[in-house]
Amino acid sequence: MIDLSNVSKVVRSGSEDLRILDDVSVTIPDGQFVAVTGASGSGKSTLLGLIAGLDAPTSGCIVVDGEEITEMSEDDLAETRSRKIGFVFQSFHLIPSLTAFENVLIPMEILGLEDARDRAAKLLADVELTNRGHHYPSELSGGEQQRIAIARAFANEPKILLADEPTGNLDSRNGGHIFELMTDLHREHSITLLLVTHDASLAAKAERRIRLKDGRVVADESLA
Amino acid sequence: MNPSPERLAMKFVINLTIREIRSSWKRLLFFFLCIAIGVGSVVALRGLTRNLSVAVGGDVRELLTADFTVTSTNAFSPDDLTRIDSVVEGAGIVDGRGETIELAIAARPADRSKESIALAGLKGIDDTFPLVGEFRLSDGSAFSYTLLENEGAVVSPELLDDLGVRLGDEILVGEAKFRIRATFAEEPGRASGFSVASRVFVAYDAFDKAGITSNTGRVRKRILFRTDSNPTQLVSDLREALKGTTLTVQYYKETQQDLGEQFARTEDYLSLTGLLILVLGGVGVWNVARAFINQKRKSVAVLKCLGAAGTRVISVYLLQILMLGLIGSLFGVVLAQFTVWFIGLRFAESLPRTMSYVVPIPTAMQGIALGVLVSMLFSALPLLHIRTIKPRLLLHDDSGEKTGRIDKTKWLIGFFSLSGLVALAAWQAGSIRVGTIFLGGLAVTSAVLLAASALLVFLLRKFGGYGSFFLRQAVNSLHRPGNQTRVILLAVGLGAFVILGVQSLQTNLLRVFDLSNNENFPSIFFGDIQKSQIEGFVDLLKSRTGEEPEKIPTVRARIVLLNGEPFDFQDREVRQRQGQIGREFAVTYRGELDENESIVSGEWWDEAAEDPELPQVSVNESFARRLDIRVGDDITFEISGRKIMAEVANLRKIDFSNSRTAFVFVFRPGALDNAPQSYIVTMLKKMPERDRARLKNAVLDRFPNVQIFDVLDIAKLIRDLVNNFVLAISFVGSFVMLSGVLILIGSVALTKSQRVYENAILKTLGAKRKTLTLILLAEYGLLGLVAGVIGAGFATALSFAVSIYVFDIEWEFDPVLMVTGIAATALVVMAVGTAVSFDVLFRKPLGTLRSH
Repeated sequence: MIDLSNVSKVVRSGSEDLRILDDVSVTIPDGQFVAVTGASGSGKSTLLGLIAGLDAPTSGCIVVDGEEITEMSEDDLAETRSRKIGFVFQSFHLIPSLTAFENVLIPMEILGLEDARDRAAKLLADVELTNRGHHYPSELSGGEQQRIAIARAFANEPKILLADEPTGNLDSRNGGHIFELMTDLHREHSITLLLVTHDASLAAKAERRIRLKDGRVVADESLA
Repeated sequence: MNPSPERLAMKFVINLTIREIRSSWKRLLFFFLCIAIGVGSVVALRGLTRNLSVAVGGDVRELLTADFTVTSTNAFSPDDLTRIDSVVEGAGIVDGRGETIELAIAARPADRSKESIALAGLKGIDDTFPLVGEFRLSDGSAFSYTLLENEGAVVSPELLDDLGVRLGDEILVGEAKFRIRATFAEEPGRASGFSVASRVFVAYDAFDKAGITSNTGRVRKRILFRTDSNPTQLVSDLREALKGTTLTVQYYKETQQDLGEQFARTEDYLSLTGLLILVLGGVGVWNVARAFINQKRKSVAVLKCLGAAGTRVISVYLLQILMLGLIGSLFGVVLAQFTVWFIGLRFAESLPRTMSYVVPIPTAMQGIALGVLVSMLFSALPLLHIRTIKPRLLLHDDSGEKTGRIDKTKWLIGFFSLSGLVALAAWQAGSIRVGTIFLGGLAVTSAVLLAASALLVFLLRKFGGYGSFFLRQAVNSLHRPGNQTRVILLAVGLGAFVILGVQSLQTNLLRVFDLSNNENFPSIFFGDIQKSQIEGFVDLLKSRTGEEPEKIPTVRARIVLLNGEPFDFQDREVRQRQGQIGREFAVTYRGELDENESIVSGEWWDEAAEDPELPQVSVNESFARRLDIRVGDDITFEISGRKIMAEVANLRKIDFSNSRTAFVFVFRPGALDNAPQSYIVTMLKKMPERDRARLKNAVLDRFPNVQIFDVLDIAKLIRDLVNNFVLAISFVGSFVMLSGVLILIGSVALTKSQRVYENAILKTLGAKRKTLTLILLAEYGLLGLVAGVIGAGFATALSFAVSIYVFDIEWEFDPVLMVTGIAATALVVMAVGTAVSFDVLFRKPLGTLRSH
């Protein structure tokens, strides 16, 4: 379960304080597929980042899978992510110096899994990129890169998958393919999926939709 | 059993390091080269000195050809011999005794149709020679004393070339004729190839029989002893027994210690020079590491996002740096080995024959350790930056990494890096003080260089904006964010500074020592002319040259007591100056000061005044300073076996650049008038080589005992020495320049992506390739120009300061050298900078703009 209570995030912009998230309280039960929507600058990505522990809230409390992450050290946060959270970015963020296979391998090596190589091979097969494993990210198309990123996100069998506009940089055919891949994996592994998207048609396929505006939750509706 | 978490963490770090190196090695090539060049120079310099010290000082016993020796410049008096024998026999450990006699003298072919003439080091030996060590002939066979019997000679191969003679030919030395029976491969008692004269070995008796020694005081006689056990006590007893005489005792262990210390000092100083290059390499490392980590920000953020702890990520990059440092250092050792081989190929003739040209393993290990440490010290701070990279930058690329707080860890690591550097410098210099001064000096030089470059760049910006478009763009480029201007100026400026400084010093030194162009400096000195010969000699010279030569009476003297006290050669410091103070001096007497002399203390004597109680002597000021001699002191000289006490009347400064002769001691006329004396005659006239040889032959035909010193020979020797010295420093300097160029290449490569982007924008706005090329040329041309001006400016200051304050010589500004130097630096930087960036001009703008 993910539980946010009264979470705010304020950043300094020039001489002014900018309130990116304003007193957000949301609870997401295990295994739910939630779409987070809202206009650009409404705080969607920040919300996802805070849940992943990529940044700390200015105030409020975040509990992920029973652990309060708000007060955790950088290294503890890293470990929590390693064990529990997978993340997919809009711009893929693969490590350019590693091959596709190695990018998938990395999270398992960080966690110290022994059968990492076999599992990486299987994950590549799951995203249908077995024959592209030895290629570097720069040699792959956008869609291929995002599939590798998804394989990477699932590498440590996370309980939670956070996806920040994963189809935003892809054409509609590739975007559709990526969306299916994620929802399939969500179903197969019963993981919690939080999808930030602009695309209303994709958001409509979620079980629940949370809409943000100016850092506040303005709508939270069940679609199931 | 499952592997431990630590092992798994280690595995992750190693795996990722290997993958990173595989993909980033090209970008880190400069890092690698910077370390390789630095380590290469340290190892080459240290290895060469160490091998040289082993070759020269390894077996000083063989160098001395004895365990200890007693040397005199007179014949040993019966009293001397009694003293020596009583101590030696009392000790009962001497199992070999021999004698040698040496003299520098002109040698000529006996065939008078040949006009060649050469200065030879004539050495008379007895059949015990060498008491210690080996004497091998050129054909590999052992030397036999029978070769010297019946006026035979064994000579160094160079003499055959110098005189144009062959084995079996006869040569004339003084009044004697010797037949050359063999040449030798290596002379016992002389390891280095640097020498003025070619050696001629003859039998000890032949020396005397030929009358060579009868009229000269330049002979060095030596008694050599070999012992069957440690002679330290015997040497000490002998010194005690010979106190107050002019005899000197030399003991191989002391010579070995002195030589060892000299080499250790040289090695340490040379290593510091190497360290300078390594530190420059370190600056390159710092620069590359900084840019590298900057490029890796996203990868670091991804790793953190995927759950890697900060320390683990730092470990990955640290290990990467260490591995590259290690490989770079290994490559540096290979580079050093090639350099040492090259030196062996090119300069073997001037170096000892037994010298090894293989880098010693401990030196190589030291170099590797040094390379890895420098890599670590210089990349510590850039690596630390990894800590501040937050995974959130994957969401918003606000750097967000800058915090106003003082970063204690950063300061701590900075402090440790600096301390580590001081420790490295101290280790290399063999002294904390010298190491600290070295680093301090380097820091001040860098700060001044940086300040000067900042000023020049500021001026360029202020006044460079009026030029054409490409010039304005070029000036702007020097200020672009993330520019490498300061680093390039520092690195290249330092290189230009070292090279031009050394060149300028060379020009000044060679000009001063180019005695052949000095009107007032004699072209030939003739010495040991006897009273009975002087009239005839002067007539001969006058008839041959038309010049009235200057003749100066000289007396040979040694200092026995200073203010009533003998020199205590038991004291190591006194013993180390034995060569300066224990030697025989040619002294003269006259009533007038020479034109080139001035009194710095006391007063010159008035000849008309009544003779003082004690004879008076004038002492050269720099010599007086070394021995702490003051006006009013008394010095007891031994002159032809008689002791004469003289009072120091004044101290005299001599202008050597305008000097016919330079006497350390000049007596007031009177005291020496009746002492056995000979004359020195100097000739000013400059003559061509052939005429000089003819004149020398004519002199020796009539006066075989006369000593001839051709200033051209001496000048050539000095020129060779200066050139060798300059070659050695230029060699080091070129490494500095190479490091500079490497840093330049690295820096250009680091800013390339920005340049690609700028060029894409300019192209979109309508700039043609020609304009972009001009901008590129102007930017690096300007950069090189500024680096050159800075280098030349500091080089001029360096050469001025060293000339005036260290060498005490006149200094002249060399505009041609400096302008050439500046132009060359500008050209090198322009060529390298443009070449490294050239492909940028051909990139299509659309792809660049899209991907940016």
